Amino acid sequence: MKSEKQLTEQESLQLITSMIQKAKSSYHDRGTGSILWGTVVAIASFVTYLQRQYDFKLPFDIFLIVAAAIIPQIFISIQESKDKTRVKKFEDSAIDGIWIVFGITLFGLTFYQNVVGNVSTTLINEEGWQMMKHYLDGSKPDEVITPFPPSMYSIYILMYAMPTLVTGLAKQFKPMIYGALITYGLFIASCYTESKFDMLFGTIAAIVCWFIPGIILRRSYLKQKNSNV
Amino acid sequence: MFKELDPILHSQLRLAIMSLLIGVKEAEFTFIKEKTNATAGNLSVQVQKLKDVGYIEVNKQFKDNYPLTTCAITKTGIAAFEAYVTALQEYLQVGKN
Repeated sequence: MKSEKQLTEQESLQLITSMIQKAKSSYHDRGTGSILWGTVVAIASFVTYLQRQYDFKLPFDIFLIVAAAIIPQIFISIQESKDKTRVKKFEDSAIDGIWIVFGITLFGLTFYQNVVGNVSTTLINEEGWQMMKHYLDGSKPDEVITPFPPSMYSIYILMYAMPTLVTGLAKQFKPMIYGALITYGLFIASCYTESKFDMLFGTIAAIVCWFIPGIILRRSYLKQKNSNV
Repeated sequence: MFKELDPILHSQLRLAIMSLLIGVKEAEFTFIKEKTNATAGNLSVQVQKLKDVGYIEVNKQFKDNYPLTTCAITKTGIAAFEAYVTALQEYLQVGKN
């Protein structure tokens, strides 16, 4: 490109349009993070569903694989930050912030789920009462419920949709927008079903929100990378 | 009466640099070079001209022992770019009529 070449008005406009377009399409997320989280959340949710459906228990909590996925995510983030430094867009730091807040919120929810049941039991016992399971047909004797475990996975499904939709809208990336909208539908469905099916809905949510968009991002990134060689 | 097109922006490479930077927070020199297909020497001269008039900021630092130059558009640059596009639209409108 020559520096001092004088342009006609039409050429100027074409140049502006083409450069804005080049900047816009210049960076593609590698998709590795999305594939990673989509895979681990889908596996953890589906195995939990299988455990409840077929009445077996693994010797460890399968959701620990979600916590363990933080380690590879750190390496992925370091690698991706090297790519991102070539060009930083205005929305990048806002989107990164949303995913960090999402991660903290999920850990907060997990903490809530593990703590509040026992604390509630202790508090109501101190008040001198307890929660009982009473069979209306009298077929079984009453049982004390300790602790009372509310089904929280619908809330997790609702949470999965939030950062996905924000990212999809900010990046104008339709697979994430559709994934988030499907997930809102799954959230509504999960409110009306037995909690074991929430796990199945969670599996679908992880696949549509992250795994499939991740695969699309990965293919797009590789295509762009190969075209630059 | 038409506004005169900004002579700083009304040149191919400088307009290309500004158009790239208008939609991003900041971009590396190598990124601009790749997208404009300009030579490093030519690009350096034009970047310096844009910096001198206050349209862009240039930040030089080291990353992994290599020099790293990043460019970002300034508020003055955004205003100049907007004025340039508005003037351009006026010219094109008259051309249509």
